[in-house]
Amino acid sequence: MLKYIIKRLLMLIPVLLGVSIMVFAIMHLFTADPTASILGDYATKDQIDNLRQQLGLNQPLYVQYWDFLKALSHGDLGTSIITQTPIAKDIAVKFPATIELAFTAIIIASVVGITLGILSAINQNKLWDHISMVISLIGISMPTFWLGLLLIIFFAVQLHVLPVSGRIQIGMEPQNITGFYLLDSLITGNMNSFVDALKHIILPSLALSAYSTSVISRMTRSAMIEVLNKEYIRTAKAKGILDKSIIIKHAFRNALIPVVTVIGLQLGGLLGGAVLTETIFAWPGIGSYTIDAILKSDYPVVQSTVILLASTFVIVNLIVDLLYAYLDPRIKYM
Amino acid sequence: MKNILKNKTAVLGLIIILLLIIIAIFGKYITPYNPSIGELSDSFKPPSLTHFFGTDDQGRDIFSRIIDGSRISLKIAIISVSIALTIGTFLGSIAGYYEGILDTIIMRFMDIMLAFPSILLAIALMSALGKGINSAIIAISVVSIPQYARIVKGSVLSTKQNEYVEAAKMVGNSNAAIILKYIIPNTFSPIVVRATIGISEAILDTAALGFLGLGVQPPQAEWGSMLGAGRGYIYNAPHILLFPGIFITITVLAFNLFGDGLRDALDPKFRK
Amino acid sequence: MNKKVIAKIFSVLLTTSMVLTGCSSGNTKSVSEDKVLKTLIYAQPTEATGLDPIFVSDTQSSRPISNIYEGLVRFKSGTTQVEPCLATSWKISDDSKVYTFTLRKNVKFQDGTAFNADAVKINFERQMGTNKKADMAYATMIFGNVKEVTKVDDYTVNVVLKNVFTPFLSNLALALGPTIVSPKALEQYGKLTENPVGTGPFKFVKWDKGQSITLEKYSDYWGNKANVDKLVFKFIKESSVRANELLNGSVDIAESIEPSDVKKLEDSKIQVLKQTTVTTTYAGFNTARAPFNNVKLREAVYHAINSADILQYTYQGYGEVAKTALPTIVPGYDNTVKPYEFNVAKSKAILKETGNENLPVKIITNTTRQKLGESVQNFLAKAGFNATLQVYTAKEYKQKVIQGEGDIFIYGWVGVNGDADIFLNLLNSKEIESNLNLSKYSNPKVDTLLAKGKSLPNGEERNSVYKEIQQILAVDVPWVNLINPSDITGTTSKVKNFKLQPTGLMLINDTDKN
Repeated sequence: MLKYIIKRLLMLIPVLLGVSIMVFAIMHLFTADPTASILGDYATKDQIDNLRQQLGLNQPLYVQYWDFLKALSHGDLGTSIITQTPIAKDIAVKFPATIELAFTAIIIASVVGITLGILSAINQNKLWDHISMVISLIGISMPTFWLGLLLIIFFAVQLHVLPVSGRIQIGMEPQNITGFYLLDSLITGNMNSFVDALKHIILPSLALSAYSTSVISRMTRSAMIEVLNKEYIRTAKAKGILDKSIIIKHAFRNALIPVVTVIGLQLGGLLGGAVLTETIFAWPGIGSYTIDAILKSDYPVVQSTVILLASTFVIVNLIVDLLYAYLDPRIKYM
Repeated sequence: MKNILKNKTAVLGLIIILLLIIIAIFGKYITPYNPSIGELSDSFKPPSLTHFFGTDDQGRDIFSRIIDGSRISLKIAIISVSIALTIGTFLGSIAGYYEGILDTIIMRFMDIMLAFPSILLAIALMSALGKGINSAIIAISVVSIPQYARIVKGSVLSTKQNEYVEAAKMVGNSNAAIILKYIIPNTFSPIVVRATIGISEAILDTAALGFLGLGVQPPQAEWGSMLGAGRGYIYNAPHILLFPGIFITITVLAFNLFGDGLRDALDPKFRK
Repeated sequence: MNKKVIAKIFSVLLTTSMVLTGCSSGNTKSVSEDKVLKTLIYAQPTEATGLDPIFVSDTQSSRPISNIYEGLVRFKSGTTQVEPCLATSWKISDDSKVYTFTLRKNVKFQDGTAFNADAVKINFERQMGTNKKADMAYATMIFGNVKEVTKVDDYTVNVVLKNVFTPFLSNLALALGPTIVSPKALEQYGKLTENPVGTGPFKFVKWDKGQSITLEKYSDYWGNKANVDKLVFKFIKESSVRANELLNGSVDIAESIEPSDVKKLEDSKIQVLKQTTVTTTYAGFNTARAPFNNVKLREAVYHAINSADILQYTYQGYGEVAKTALPTIVPGYDNTVKPYEFNVAKSKAILKETGNENLPVKIITNTTRQKLGESVQNFLAKAGFNATLQVYTAKEYKQKVIQGEGDIFIYGWVGVNGDADIFLNLLNSKEIESNLNLSKYSNPKVDTLLAKGKSLPNGEERNSVYKEIQQILAVDVPWVNLINPSDITGTTSKVKNFKLQPTGLMLINDTDKN
């Protein structure tokens, strides 16, 4: 098993290298440089040329890429061209924000999705099944950002019960232990911060969870149906041997494997894909950070964050694969 | 095919799709107003009898823009899925059929593309290519290629083992002929299902890019851009945000319903 | 149950709850001897990019910067006139090239070090000559013309210009570029991007990246000390969200409110301040090539655009129609100029008689001014032009304009020093090469007048030079002047004495909060 893990980890490296080359190429070859974002309207042609020179943008691409790799190997994630501050510092603050949002969303999605899926499977083809399947279908059909806007309009603007955006009210941040406001405020017993952080995270995580909830519920339903239809369960039922709750528990345990797989994959997707939700809710995470950097051509930021997100994604996938192997004794790895 | 028609939800999806296609094609004859021109003095009017869905910030009729936008959404989605499907099938067949180095290279490249968060890849590409329909098509196609490559490769790997393929080889058919005549047709059903769902994903992607202001050029109507433009008017004109979102959802829902129905009909595992 | 029992139960419940709440409020009202700090929270759209005044170019960075640092001179509140600040007085030599500044005594930087002539020399020289770096946004504009800076004594400095340049003094009043930072801090940090130390009424406390910047009152400030103890700059991207935060009281002041959010605020008793400033917007023609090298066609476009409608509907009336290239508050503004009036028939007539019906016109704009671009395209389409619009992201827009991508480009200009030259110089043929004259307009008469205006001392003679230029431009129309938008800022009723400035700077002078 260990050998397999190491082998998989080693295979990550060329993939991540490939990702870094791809993002480097796209940003440098095709997008405008960041001088306009730095110098503003008053910049003359000479100033712009000088700045490009100063930023090393006139060097051949492979030189720039090599410098980037060298720095990365020393753990130096670079400095933002626009704000002149170390990227690692920004990431250390923003990544926990994205993780917190993604995890909250996946927890909601898992709880609601699995529940809906089990209920549907048990009541297959009855009214409840149809209703919940319709809800799931709508959930994967709605644009996340639209759902977010609707939630904002309803809860924040019309009803005034929840904040419109942001992660927490200024001055309410809990002491920094893990970087996750919900955890930190619980650990330090700061209930005011906890409630405020909770109020801020509800809407974005709801919006973000809609798609995943639907996927999870559909997968749970079909996985459970598959197990419930299996010969041995039908036989047991027919013989009146097993009662309903044991059947369900047994079915669920077997359905767990694909469901867990799906949850893991969704989480991986959320970690990288919460971009639009973060933008709408002004959530200070990696997603909004990266979009801003792309739009301003802040190359170092884009390079570092994309590699970070890609790494997270492949590592989560790896964990899911390992979990799958662990849960399903039929699968063996060399 | 009969199976599909038996599935009620799939039929519903198909009906909606056909309706949308009709609207898209004949749109310009049914729009009550010119979707790209408006009177500033008419801006922000709420839904009424003269403007069914109200007017936007430039005084343009939203109902006309929604109809006009359907054309763009369907066009971008169908074209990009077609491109991604073609390229993906090509890459997947080669990887699956020849295996070895070719397989490794192609699949590694697909892994790289999949590891890149797709929305960010699309944004970066759009940022590089500039706004416009063609850029959107390219960006969405590129982002979608890997999934088709994977499916096709898997399908090819299993089909390859079949006896008639061995037979064809022995008789002397060229590899290309074998791939085209025997292998690809067998990938048909998973691909078609994936493509249908792929269209709904492409519509969502188009809307997302449009929402961020990276989609089509104004004044061209596009559902996502309409939502993006309306974002600043949450207070005084929320109607601008309502209708494009509803239509995106309905369209995507239709393709999802149809895709589900297709899958149920074509995949023996799911037959009830 | 009879009524008495019910009443008894009720009164027991009532008293119990009263006692309980009484107890709990008693507990939370723990007596504290600390004075409650008066905090003013200011909401702005984007985060400052840095706090070193010479390395940033954006208005958003100037928000905290203009309250931390000061310059030798500053703009008198409510005007574009220059008044003493860190310099108490100045003399200009007869040849107008030597400025002698008498510096204020007993001024300390926020790190305790003394402000004196050495500090001024260090500050200016770090942006001049070989010290000048390419990422110092305003260094060339302000100090490119400075020959040398000499210390006469501890409180007197001479600044010698290469060429006579009247706007130099106004340039010294800007927040970005010439404001004075602590030399000791420079020694310690090199760049003050995250460690600002100035002489202004507020000093730096901390910067929560992506969230806020916190300043506190500098109690040794030489002038009127701040009325509030803390000043927090909060970054909130959406105008509707900033407006919402005003409504629920979580911010005290919010700037850059979109015209469409104003009504909701005013309906809820939020004070909404509006102020026309040194900002103007225009549709510039590429006059170097067809079709708009033909002034008649430029005139046709001018007749096609209804700026009054744009002002009323897109800006909700907050601002003014720009009749000339100068905003009204700039000295030298000519209110007698008659721009080409809105008249679609005239546009169509010109197109017809020049054989240009359905003339293809490519309009370009950036995402910030997208709506303005759409409106212009809309008007042109209705007037018989085959007008298309292309929107670019901010970072590549200027390049596209320079490359001549558009026949018409939508642009805006903030004349930060409030001087006529900074606006009209954009039509100087000498500035085509430097990319400031994006219309590539070339008129020798205008060039001569501009050169004259740079060297005349402020006054009526100088103003008349600029008035003449505006009259010429009203006929030649290298631009369609569109709107001078107002700055719109909302404050809650607790905020007292907050004023918007015509220079666009944000100053918490004697602003107070209840």
